[in-house]
Amino acid sequence: MTVSAAPAEAILEESRGAHRRRLRGTSDARAYGLATITAVYLLWALVPVAITVLFSFNEGRSRSAWQGFSLRWYTWDPTGSVLNDESIRNALSHTVLLAILATIITVPIGVLFALALDRWRGRLPQGANFLALITFVIPEIALAIGLLFMVTYLATPFGLGTWAQVVGLVTFQLAYPIVICRARLLTIGAHYEEAARDLGASAIGAVRRVILPMLFPAILVSAILVFADVLDDFVIVRYLSSDASTETTSMRIYQVARAAPTPALNAMATIILVVSLIVIVAGWLVYRRWTLKQGENTDVASLANTL
Amino acid sequence: MASSPRRPVSRRRLLQTSALALPGAWALAACARDQPLSGPTGEANSAGTSGSGSASPSPSAIPIASPQNPVKWPINPGNEAIASGLEPEANATLRIYNYPDYLDKAVIKDFEKEYADYGVKVEYSTFNDYPEALTKIRSGSVPYDVSFLSYNFMGRLVYGNLIRPLNHDYIPNIADVWEEFQDPWYDQDWQYTAPYVIYTTGIGWRADLIPEDIGARANPYDIFWDSKYAGEIAVLDDDREVIGMTILRDGGTNVNTEDPAALGAARDAMLEMLSLSQPRVTITGYTDIPEGVLSLSQCWSGDMITGQYYMPEGVDASVLRYWSPPNGQGMIGNDFMVVLKGGENPVMAHHFLNFMLGTDVSLKNFSWVGYQPPLRALTPESMVADGYVPENLASAVVRAEWFQVGYPLLELPPAVEAEYQAIWQQFKAGA
Amino acid sequence: MRSVADRSTRFLWPVLGLPAMVWIAIFFLIPLYVVFCVAFGTVDPIFRSPVPIWNPLEWQFTQVQVVWDRLVGPDNFYLPAVLRTLMYVAIAVVACLIIAFPVAYFTARYAGKYKGLVLALLVAPFFISYMMRMLAWINLLQPDGLVNSIITMGGAVPLDINWLSGNPYTVVMGLIYGYVPYMLLPLFAALDRISPSLIEAARDLGASGFDLFRRVILPMSLPGIVAGTLLISLPMMGDYFTSDMLSKSPNTAMIGNLINLSIATPGQSGQAGALLILVLLVLLIPMILYTRSNARAEVRS
Repeated sequence: MTVSAAPAEAILEESRGAHRRRLRGTSDARAYGLATITAVYLLWALVPVAITVLFSFNEGRSRSAWQGFSLRWYTWDPTGSVLNDESIRNALSHTVLLAILATIITVPIGVLFALALDRWRGRLPQGANFLALITFVIPEIALAIGLLFMVTYLATPFGLGTWAQVVGLVTFQLAYPIVICRARLLTIGAHYEEAARDLGASAIGAVRRVILPMLFPAILVSAILVFADVLDDFVIVRYLSSDASTETTSMRIYQVARAAPTPALNAMATIILVVSLIVIVAGWLVYRRWTLKQGENTDVASLANTL
Repeated sequence: MASSPRRPVSRRRLLQTSALALPGAWALAACARDQPLSGPTGEANSAGTSGSGSASPSPSAIPIASPQNPVKWPINPGNEAIASGLEPEANATLRIYNYPDYLDKAVIKDFEKEYADYGVKVEYSTFNDYPEALTKIRSGSVPYDVSFLSYNFMGRLVYGNLIRPLNHDYIPNIADVWEEFQDPWYDQDWQYTAPYVIYTTGIGWRADLIPEDIGARANPYDIFWDSKYAGEIAVLDDDREVIGMTILRDGGTNVNTEDPAALGAARDAMLEMLSLSQPRVTITGYTDIPEGVLSLSQCWSGDMITGQYYMPEGVDASVLRYWSPPNGQGMIGNDFMVVLKGGENPVMAHHFLNFMLGTDVSLKNFSWVGYQPPLRALTPESMVADGYVPENLASAVVRAEWFQVGYPLLELPPAVEAEYQAIWQQFKAGA
Repeated sequence: MRSVADRSTRFLWPVLGLPAMVWIAIFFLIPLYVVFCVAFGTVDPIFRSPVPIWNPLEWQFTQVQVVWDRLVGPDNFYLPAVLRTLMYVAIAVVACLIIAFPVAYFTARYAGKYKGLVLALLVAPFFISYMMRMLAWINLLQPDGLVNSIITMGGAVPLDINWLSGNPYTVVMGLIYGYVPYMLLPLFAALDRISPSLIEAARDLGASGFDLFRRVILPMSLPGIVAGTLLISLPMMGDYFTSDMLSKSPNTAMIGNLINLSIATPGQSGQAGALLILVLLVLLIPMILYTRSNARAEVRS
């Protein structure tokens, strides 16, 4: 993971104080300029979404003219609200269901594979790793169509619908735990395991008692990423859906956004956003607690770097 | 997407159709081989087919029904109508397969109530377009009982043994519909189908955004080639409708043409339209026009009637307009109900068809979906007077006599259908 | 004792790796093979549904031929869409770089104690669904939406811009907006690795700002630039929903739209497969490039 300003460098920098002061003028201007660009970028990136959230609380039907605060589109509108529109409720619960199922399957398979890759040399595992990475960058539509054709033209034990969607999502997300856990395993190195083995632990015991706990932060991070990414998935879930019962929130947005949406659509999107945030924040808190206990470096940068 | 005289569509279903343009569809096409096609009334199939090795009639062996060539379909051996006088299945789950929101949920509830003694429960599943429906029905993966389709796949439905002949004893309410639908050209003697709703294809717009009287133009269809409205207009997301409209605009009348030259000319005209008016391609005109996202769109008659419920605050529904040729010489169509061969509750399915055809139920459904049933009880005047159709949209009422002169979009031979779809691909690829 | 353990180890790792390998074989390799069988298959003459041919020795090239003709043959109507896609992607990638570089640079070098916060905000779009972000723009760009009322200053300026009906600028903007986060993170990771002391050293040696950028920062951030470019351009090649959401006009159709449309038409599923295969062949090299660079990065860290 990344080095965040190491002490040695700080000292080095201090010793160059005089030189720095001379340059400070231009450097400050540059910093302010860059800060402005960053601020503008963040506004551009986040304000539209904030407005979408805001209008989910609109009293009227409009998604562009504010007509007063209300929970109408969440609760009390008799037909259109999230609470009363069965198709919206169904989309929400199905989306969360898919995220849970996909995470439960993806993470263990991926973590075990990362462990295996770390020790098992050969063409076979390397080839599988290569394919896993390809699934990460291949246009999603390719994976979706492949699975659609497979389910359609080959006898599979499942038809289109929830399980096809889960299978597609797991395949698409598998690279996350693999990449993240491998990076972590490389920094852990082999000596902990060797030490455990020297103390008489079996290979499985060493993995279970030593490696897995050390790998925990990476597992957690990949689980969060997979979960959040599945909540957002569109292409795979759409191609592999069967009927209205396997519709997700992103599919709903795609279908309704250009037709006759009410702020209930914004409300639905907001709810998924909140679910996503809760999972991330909860995961982050666990991550911090864990790594602080282990006395490890925990900045967001190191997290970002693993992406 | 689908080739087809498109069923009228209402509300969200439209969206889902265009949006979901997805196919869960050809899903299972493979398994379709499980249900080999049977030849006309058991006669030996001469033409083999490539590939799968199952015996099928050659495409040309399937007749194409048209008003000039009414077809009485064969009853295939092993697919006879159910006997008369049977009790409806007890505790049945009646599986309906239809477009989303193309049927009033309250009507379904009414049906369940009416047949409560038999413990019937209705399960409403949806498809996104006809090709998807056809493929899923062929696969037999779900035992659907009733479906809502149109005649653009009629031959394939019969020859694929996908639908059941009807026993008319169960369906006395057929008497409530127009006579021509009791013996339609696409299914003489209504052996397999019972009519659902009717519609024309025309132009819908908002008078406050398009201040001209489209109908007063020498050729109203020209508006889609008018660069003045570039970026404000749309055509239907349906190959048959757009190609057909282009043919009519250029003075043709055969919207089902198989002539390569005519199709080539239509394609060129469509590409010209792309560069002149940059139309969007969508079936969401019923909301886009009321909301002002579009000023004008090719649409089905029922779309504008439904559109009155989508007006933004502060805009009155009286600004909506609909035009289709007032002499009836435009595209016209209807959808029908069928009992599927794979269903488990054929008797209850017959009762459902009968229930839907009844005048009261039919009217209730009309006021929700916005598409007009061919009921004897309705006259063009009464529809407006009783508030089913607002006055400014009186032109969206479908008149019985138009079925004599209008142009239905017929089933096409598969090879020709492929031509249509290729043109559509080119159109959608943009110029 | 050791030897017993070693024997168990020898099987342990393959056993651990097995589920993922089986999964990838069944749910990645087989589906790809089926795409080939459909693309090189035939079409049912009546129902026009695809009939896959499973034996590669019997594969037929009709569908591939059709697609090829539409790309480069006399009837090359796919070509405008392909060129359009390449242009959109190129513009979007360059714009993403121009936007992401200063932002990532600021975050890596100047954000100081706010680094965590800024990074969290930069990462946020990852966790907001793409569709929701497009929805946000649809709302803003409606005829009576916020953007138009700002441009026209509440109707004072008589300007009527229809952003959502086939406007290519809107689509490209949507692509940039949608994908720029995926450019930011690899860039940040690369820039964050550049030690501040290295930059100081360069300055001590008299490098000007531009020299510093050209000779130190740019070369050192190159892996991030490459990774980011691949990471956003590959998915953009299959993107159909951005154009669908923000335009719905054939005049902004991308390759993804062509594939998506063919899939939706039963008789053309095979052509969709063939087009997909061609796209994948073209993308294979950049994809391998990406996985390689990823593997190298792993070794480095």
